[in-house]
Amino acid sequence: MYLAHFLCALLLSTLWSCGGQDTKDSPVQQVDLESVDPSGQQVVFWYQHTRERETALEELIAEYNATNTHDIVVQGEYAGSYSDIYNKMVVGIQGDALPSLVVAYQNQAMAYHRDGGVVDISPYMNSPKWGLSATEKKDFVQSFLKQDFIGGAQIGFPPNRSLEVFYYNVDWLKELGYDEPPRTWDEFAQLCRLAHANPFSRSENKERSLGFLIEAEASRLASLVFTRGGDLVNDESTAYTMDTPAMRGALSMLRGLMEEGAIELMGEEYGDQREFAAGQVLFILRSSSGLPFVTSAVEDGLDFTWTVTYPPNEVEEPIINVYGASVSLCKTTPQQQLAAWLFLKWFTEPAQQARWVRASNYFPVRRSTANELGDYFEKNARYQAAYELLDYGKSEPTMAGYQQVRRHMQEAMVEIIEGGDMDQVLADLQRDADRTTAE
Amino acid sequence: MNTRTKDQMIAWGFLSPALAILIAFGLFPIGYAFFVSLHNWRIKKDAFIGFEHYGRALGDGQFLLWFLIGLVALGVVARLRQMDAMRTGWLGWAAWFLYVPALWILLSWGLSGMLETGDERLYNGFKVTFFYALGTIPIQLSIALGLAYLLFKSLRGKGVFRVLFFLPYVTPVIASAVVFRTLFSPHPSSMANRFWEFWGFEGQRWLYESRSIAVVILQAVGIESYPEWVDTAFPSLALVSIVLYNIWVYVGYDTVILLAGLSAIPQHYYEAAEIDGANSWQAFRHVTLPLVSPTLFFLSMVAVIGTFKAFNHIYILRTPGARDSVDVLSIAIFDQIFEFHNAGYASAMAFVLFVAILGLTFLQNRMLGKRVFYGD
Amino acid sequence: MATRNALRGRAIWVYSGLVVGGLVAAFPFVWMLLASFMTRGETLRRVFTPESVQWANYYQAWKEADFGLYFENSLLVAVVQVLGTLFFSLLAAYPLARMEFRGRDTIFAGILATLMIPETVTMVPNFLTITWLHRTSPFPWLNSWPSLTIPFMASAFSIFLLRQFMRGVPNDLWEAARIDGAGHVRFLFQIMLPLCRAPLLTVGMFTFIGSWNSLAWPLLVTNTPDWRPISVGLQQFVSEAGAEVHLQMAGAMIATVPVLFTYFMIQKEFTEGISMSGLKG
Repeated sequence: MYLAHFLCALLLSTLWSCGGQDTKDSPVQQVDLESVDPSGQQVVFWYQHTRERETALEELIAEYNATNTHDIVVQGEYAGSYSDIYNKMVVGIQGDALPSLVVAYQNQAMAYHRDGGVVDISPYMNSPKWGLSATEKKDFVQSFLKQDFIGGAQIGFPPNRSLEVFYYNVDWLKELGYDEPPRTWDEFAQLCRLAHANPFSRSENKERSLGFLIEAEASRLASLVFTRGGDLVNDESTAYTMDTPAMRGALSMLRGLMEEGAIELMGEEYGDQREFAAGQVLFILRSSSGLPFVTSAVEDGLDFTWTVTYPPNEVEEPIINVYGASVSLCKTTPQQQLAAWLFLKWFTEPAQQARWVRASNYFPVRRSTANELGDYFEKNARYQAAYELLDYGKSEPTMAGYQQVRRHMQEAMVEIIEGGDMDQVLADLQRDADRTTAE
Repeated sequence: MNTRTKDQMIAWGFLSPALAILIAFGLFPIGYAFFVSLHNWRIKKDAFIGFEHYGRALGDGQFLLWFLIGLVALGVVARLRQMDAMRTGWLGWAAWFLYVPALWILLSWGLSGMLETGDERLYNGFKVTFFYALGTIPIQLSIALGLAYLLFKSLRGKGVFRVLFFLPYVTPVIASAVVFRTLFSPHPSSMANRFWEFWGFEGQRWLYESRSIAVVILQAVGIESYPEWVDTAFPSLALVSIVLYNIWVYVGYDTVILLAGLSAIPQHYYEAAEIDGANSWQAFRHVTLPLVSPTLFFLSMVAVIGTFKAFNHIYILRTPGARDSVDVLSIAIFDQIFEFHNAGYASAMAFVLFVAILGLTFLQNRMLGKRVFYGD
Repeated sequence: MATRNALRGRAIWVYSGLVVGGLVAAFPFVWMLLASFMTRGETLRRVFTPESVQWANYYQAWKEADFGLYFENSLLVAVVQVLGTLFFSLLAAYPLARMEFRGRDTIFAGILATLMIPETVTMVPNFLTITWLHRTSPFPWLNSWPSLTIPFMASAFSIFLLRQFMRGVPNDLWEAARIDGAGHVRFLFQIMLPLCRAPLLTVGMFTFIGSWNSLAWPLLVTNTPDWRPISVGLQQFVSEAGAEVHLQMAGAMIATVPVLFTYFMIQKEFTEGISMSGLKG
């Protein structure tokens, strides 16, 4: 009985909520960008950075507020993790209460853009009065900008990027008789076997000696596929291609090494960093933003010589997976949007980029930033080593549903490496990926 | 004004502040979720599509209809069996057989079709959620009851033990999950693997293992061939690991509430039992158990609701290796929102879950509610 | 003598069971405590105990995460929420447990139903409600204590728990009180309230813990650190790029100690069982 009462009440409350939810779409106004006045605008910037990065960002913002000629006031706000920010944006888009700038991954920016939450940045970039000059545009690493150019719109603007670099233990490699890191995957496999048989002399636990510790993570798999000349989507970026020779090659190599015990799947968070620092793993593959952590971990650990390079490959030029969240311009008022753009532009100028990079250990998006980083390079040889790889960057797909495809890739990766039926698993993966495109 | 109307007014007066808050922040979101589920709705409202999302989730409407008819038939049979005439004699026995056609309609005409035409993720979510609830609730409650009973008696150092057993619940999840992941890591030196290997078995992948616990056990004793259903009809080792974590965290929580329940039992009942010469087991069985039954009833209801929408622990402990074998419904809903950016479909799934919990709680209330002893 | 020995034997079994269970239960906490005193090198090498105690971790965590401010916020929010929850839940539970009126079961079912939908879906509509209240009510909700406390003050969980307890209270007490001329209000506050001491403390404690550990909602309804709780400070140690386990654990310890202390104080109340002799008229 009371169930029925309750359901009635629920229905009523639904009807009530229907009544209250008339969203009015304000007509899009064509504004002449050149005549908009950004003076005195308040710009709110939602980010996910904490600790050193947040401090550095706040310092930059304070400087911009003090020096900009339009009296624009930027206010940075820590808005939680990426999913917290997404929740806030969802409500903001429904209630017209958006910040001016928001940190977003490509798939999130796509979702915001589809529902009118963020605007195309191209008009701002191309504006004669407010935009970037031809030289400035060329100064950007083009692939970084292209990563945020999705469906004919620049839905994000990169303030920084990270690279997926190959870390290796130089001392151990020397003990194995090599002065150079492996350049092909065959060489890599050979070295993994060697490392498994010959533990690092300074390791405290000689029973555990591995060539490589791989995380079941889609970006790692993407790196392996890219460096074998493959890709995850077709040339037109219209469909996922999961069952390719490069994918099969990468996975069967891992499976083989796994069976021999020369490599292992990572089973603990940051386990690769830890075991690398403990001298139990010869190679690891992970984001360059981990450089400072690996640095101090090794210093506190065995304190051996190590560095980073591009992953082994089977193609003519090195290829390195590049990723990172960008900043999107939210739909507010023309004046506010312009003011926000002006800050964003300032933020990506070499002088500011250099400061941001020093604090965050990210990579800059404009090449001329390197001119400002001379002393930093000197002190951080590994950072410089990675910096020189920027040109080899290749990014993961920016198709709808990639977030979900990543999940499927990770699962398939584990299954195949552990000895699952390659044909079957890859066919399933392709089917799952196709299904996300259909949705 | 007579006392009845006055009582009514007092009752509503007492209830109204809480009701106002609950309607605004408890019922409104449910209605809102239902409203969202009837639309194409990614971030913002789009076209009205009626029950299309539900069709996609649950499967073809005709199967759903058979399923519901089967449910109603089961209910009718259960009702019939309660009638006085049915209680005794051959009629009652005969009524048992009525369950067969009802179940047949429910399962064969309804459920199997729904499973075929509906969303795999939703039904997998239901399956995993059931495993999760069945694995945690009974064990957790029995341990907690035993513990509470022991820690309530005049036992030396019970204060220390009470704090010890409550520790897992107050330890921040970031710490306990890190520890748990280390204990149950596939790493050969992990605690779980050392324990396992001590008994002569091969190391396991625990949180990374998507194969069912039955398969794992079969392989541990050397049986390599098994029928397919052995893998699908049991929870995965990864899920079992998470269940262990859940039990370990919530035993302390349940114990605390049971302790409060025990301390609300009037002392004179025990005194009376003692005078009657009851031993401690009899006192437990005939005094303690009935008198904490309201608390136990509360805990079992809350546990069913809680496990059916469990999220945090599973989210933190899920690994790519476990594949979808730990994806309970709330995880599937989360994925729809944050990975597919499809609030409309996520809300439809959430509403299906809501109706399922509601039905289950209703049944539970029906079946357990009568056994609860509320004083005189 | 034989029975005494048997009893002692059983006590030993009970104790050893409790000790083993207690160790299992305490293990992660002990691990957290030990890790919070380690150097980074020690956390990397998987040692179990630190060589020397690094108090500096606590100092660094306290300073870097701005725990000073967050601590005050968390305490304030938790206290307001506990008091509000206790009061509203007590009021609501009483008629549901002890009075007869139309629609009682419907209301109770409705209250329980609010527990049955995952937070992932309720977060957005509730935030919409808060922004609406923020715009229309005379005092601010966003970035202030009302949005952090009021939505949780009438928790179905607390009402349900208190109702269960109140239903178990013998009816002769009510009969006796009525003969003395007491109405429902007086009965609730003079007789029911002291009887429900243990469940009220339980509800209060769980409300406190819930408020203390909440993270996603406070982040949603606040934009500045002014009202953000300690869990936000703690989250800041979880970096994208690497783990600083020792600092993370020091921060976690700082956040846990108040909860543990509260529980330690409260558990003493769960004793013996109430004596009703004084209440019987």
